[in-house]
Amino acid sequence: MMAIRELKVCLLGDTGVGKSSIVCRFVQDHFDHNISPTIGASFMTKTVPCGNELHKFLIWDTAGQERFHSLAPMYYRGSAAAVIVYDITKQDSFHTLKKWVKELKEHGPENIVMAIAGNKCDLSDIREVPMKDAKEYAESIGAIVVETSAKNAVNIEELFQGISRQIPPLDPHENGNNGAIKLGKQTSQTGRRCC
Amino acid sequence: MSSLTMEARCLDKRGSFFKLIDTIASEIGELKQEMVQTDLALEDEPGGLQSLVKDMDNVSPEKKDVKGCPRDSGYDSLSNKLSVLDKLLHTHPVWLQLGLNDAEAVEILQTQPPGIFLVRKSARLQKKVISLRLPGECGSCLKEFAIKESTYTFSLEGSGISFADLFRLIAFYCISRDVLPFTLKLPHAIAAAKTEAELEEIAQLGLSFWSSPANSNPPNPSPPRRPAPADSARKDARQLCLINGVHAIRTRTPSELECSQTNGALCFINPLFLKVHSQDVSGSLKRQSPRAQDANGTERPRSPPPRPPPPAINSSLTSPQLSRTIKPASMPAPVSQKQQRDSGALRSKPAPVPPPRLKKQAVCSEAEGSGKPAAAAAAAAPRPGGGSPSARASEAPGAAGAAPPAQDPAASKKSPAAAAANGESPAQWDGGRQRLSDMSISTSSSDSLDFDRSMPLFGYEGDTNSSLEDFEGESDQESMAPPLKPKKKRNSSFVLPKIVKSQLRKVSGVFSSFMTPEKRMIKKIAEMSRDKRTYFGCLVQDYVSFLQENKECHVSSTDMLQTIRQFMTQVKNYLSQSSELDPPIESLIPEDQIDVVLEKAMHKCILKPLKGHIEAMLKEFHTADGSWKQLKENLQLVRQRNPQELGVFVPTPDFVDVEKIKVKFMSMQKMYSPEKKVMLLLRVCKLIYTVMENNSGRLYGADDFLPVLTYVLAQCDMLELDTEIEYMMELLDPSLLHGEGGYYLTSAYGALSLIKNFQEEQAARLLSSEARDTLRQWHKRRTTNRTIPSVDDFQNYLRVAFQEVNSGCTGKTLLVRPYITTEDVCQLCAEKFKVDNPEEYSLFLFVDDTWQQLTEDTYPQKIKAELHSRPQPQVFHFVYKRINSDPYGAIFQNNDDSAS
Repeated sequence: MMAIRELKVCLLGDTGVGKSSIVCRFVQDHFDHNISPTIGASFMTKTVPCGNELHKFLIWDTAGQERFHSLAPMYYRGSAAAVIVYDITKQDSFHTLKKWVKELKEHGPENIVMAIAGNKCDLSDIREVPMKDAKEYAESIGAIVVETSAKNAVNIEELFQGISRQIPPLDPHENGNNGAIKLGKQTSQTGRRCC
Repeated sequence: MSSLTMEARCLDKRGSFFKLIDTIASEIGELKQEMVQTDLALEDEPGGLQSLVKDMDNVSPEKKDVKGCPRDSGYDSLSNKLSVLDKLLHTHPVWLQLGLNDAEAVEILQTQPPGIFLVRKSARLQKKVISLRLPGECGSCLKEFAIKESTYTFSLEGSGISFADLFRLIAFYCISRDVLPFTLKLPHAIAAAKTEAELEEIAQLGLSFWSSPANSNPPNPSPPRRPAPADSARKDARQLCLINGVHAIRTRTPSELECSQTNGALCFINPLFLKVHSQDVSGSLKRQSPRAQDANGTERPRSPPPRPPPPAINSSLTSPQLSRTIKPASMPAPVSQKQQRDSGALRSKPAPVPPPRLKKQAVCSEAEGSGKPAAAAAAAAPRPGGGSPSARASEAPGAAGAAPPAQDPAASKKSPAAAAANGESPAQWDGGRQRLSDMSISTSSSDSLDFDRSMPLFGYEGDTNSSLEDFEGESDQESMAPPLKPKKKRNSSFVLPKIVKSQLRKVSGVFSSFMTPEKRMIKKIAEMSRDKRTYFGCLVQDYVSFLQENKECHVSSTDMLQTIRQFMTQVKNYLSQSSELDPPIESLIPEDQIDVVLEKAMHKCILKPLKGHIEAMLKEFHTADGSWKQLKENLQLVRQRNPQELGVFVPTPDFVDVEKIKVKFMSMQKMYSPEKKVMLLLRVCKLIYTVMENNSGRLYGADDFLPVLTYVLAQCDMLELDTEIEYMMELLDPSLLHGEGGYYLTSAYGALSLIKNFQEEQAARLLSSEARDTLRQWHKRRTTNRTIPSVDDFQNYLRVAFQEVNSGCTGKTLLVRPYITTEDVCQLCAEKFKVDNPEEYSLFLFVDDTWQQLTEDTYPQKIKAELHSRPQPQVFHFVYKRINSDPYGAIFQNNDDSAS
């Protein structure tokens, strides 16, 4: 029997970069017919196998408008991972992404897994953010990075698989279903300021 | 219903159909009666409209209680026969050993005969298992059978039959082997026990039973032979199966197969038919004996009487069982500085005017002394809803008043049944049993494989006793209708319509039997929380009254809600670890559901009584700190903006939708359970989403949803939403905070915060840093693993009654730490009760109908702890009163003490 671990994942990024499109694509894509329907696209769940565990992603979308920025801490608090989305055709959105990373580092949960998604890679002919910039930046902060296209279903699975792999497996002796909480204690990244 | 068809298939074709119909009919009758009661109870409920306190969903639990209570008179009900299930329920401390490891299990079982079993939790499998002793020739001495727990049921791995709880599962496998090599066998002492007292005695041995002389095996390990029933072919088949171990692991012969069908699945599906053949004349006597002892009060039964069932305590006219527990017992050592008064004279008259709850007991002990039938009748008709009168009065004023008239018709109707239950008319009782005789599988009442009154439990029924009630109802019916001999039924199928006609109304009883173990458990915990003789009850009651009486004890709304949440979490931990729940929760609720069930129970026993208080306090806090005013002003501002100004660019709910949403919010206000409130919030969000999407097929994320939610909340213009959301945010089970409920709750909180800070936002386009900090702090609070306070933090309350000549009795809950002496408590009391001449007053302990003055150097909390640690819980009260006077002249305990 596989243990199900619930992992809270928070979506951050400017408005209009396609945060919810990525999630919708991920959650509603093919072969998975037993997704439990949710009320709306701002909160969605999907369970994927990972090793001998099942990861149930509880995906919290946030409103990207500046005026809602102050509410973000409530959303990312307690997250096991954050997906920070920018639009490769908008330099501004990459700038906002950096602000989010900074905020997460300062106020976010310890050991949060960060994944950077450069969305709309189907529009690479009008690209403003070079792939190289994103890669270098991601490396500097120890984050996963992929360029995605929610529209063409490019790299969406991979994005979440990458997150799954970064989630340390549960201690075999602890059989809890609150994996997301336990995670914080078990990951072994270096010490960080506490908020 | 599918079970019914299955049943029909399995049943012996020659007449069982009649019995099926008969049973169904009688159950409908039951329900009809109950439905009548319910209606009356609801009509007569004048307080029902004061809906701030009374939840909407209150109504249905109340209804259920009406149904449930008359049936729920405890496991030690008054029938004289004990079923396998009863025996299992009583003796679970012996066989249910969840903490036992592999080696210990081997050690215990290897000395036992084959068929003996233990239920424990295997560390290796991380599951509960049945450890079964195999016959010697099988090589290894025992084998483990894993128990599968789904969300609702228990089953053996590899078997298709599932059960509502562990007891039913084990009882079934005592009768039918199904996937086991042979049936389970109860230890001889348990199997042979004839009375509950005997079982109780065995149960008290716990694990040591296995090594005690009580567990000696009978000379002949096979169960005693029973007189042959009429249908000898079938009986033979059964006996083959009944002799445990003999046919182990052998291929089954056709006759055995037949037997397993009759004894197995059939029993499970409708065991009502498995009534026992025997008359068991001695039965009624068996039950009489312990009670006779009680009546004259001189002889103590060898073992303490079984715990009285919670509902009995709660009934307005308490059942006889209760008074049994109020026997004289020795006082705790630290108290006995002053002599204990001989309470003989005292007990002969009703207690004078002790604190309110005791008064009730005095009445009932008198009732027991004077006339048993009266008490018995009363026992059969407990109040709906349970709860001690005072507790009930405070939580549901209407229902309490309405109950007695509603109960009347039912009580009178049921009285024959009640009498039967009390052994008053054994003939009738036996008559009822006889009717089902041809289906009996055993004829000896003392046999462990004996099925009798509790067998109906194998369905999803309310409680052990509910089945008893069902059966009694049926036997009652039987006495009115012409007796139907099974033989006759077989002869002509056309008797059927007649019977059906006369009794079809009974069918509805089936529905009342769908009380799941979860509901039973919650009900049981709720009842226990009102029973101050339990440690848990004291903890809860003291905390609730402390909170209600000490408004100044919290500095802020958050502080208050947080403490309540901590208390609930703490009490949950206590309940899941303590042995106070009997039977243990693990035996009724699958493991992954235990926390969910406990959480619901906490809502019922803590939040329900506190809801009104919490709301009032929240209002007070928000009025005091001005946040209410701020919200009100800003709400007006936001309402004047059009959707676009608020960043809304999708379809928004129109006036009608907003009205619908307001209705939902208003029903939310009536709920006490944070989870149910969140459910309603989710419905609101769903409605908003439906409007937004407007069949466009577009999926909207938070970018679009949050502005709309803000707009909608402003349109609703309900200040109360602020406290509603705060209530949910702080009190919701932390494990739910990450889910959908948590998400939309967070969004609603965020939206409301935006509204509240609209002015500032307009000025700065940003929330004030202060508001941001608040949000941060909230999530930090709710998501970090804080060190949970220990039970000690909550057990330092002491309820003290104040008895005054003129003003009667009042009570206050005081914060009394363990090291506080009686002297200090007296001082505290003098202050709290505003006593002018404290030297004339002292603290007394009232327990067992006796008063004891506590000396100055004793520690009330220690005394309380000791009283709680007694094997038999007792009601006790700390009373602050004049030393030398008894206002009502009935007791004058302390003359001698003060004189000497």
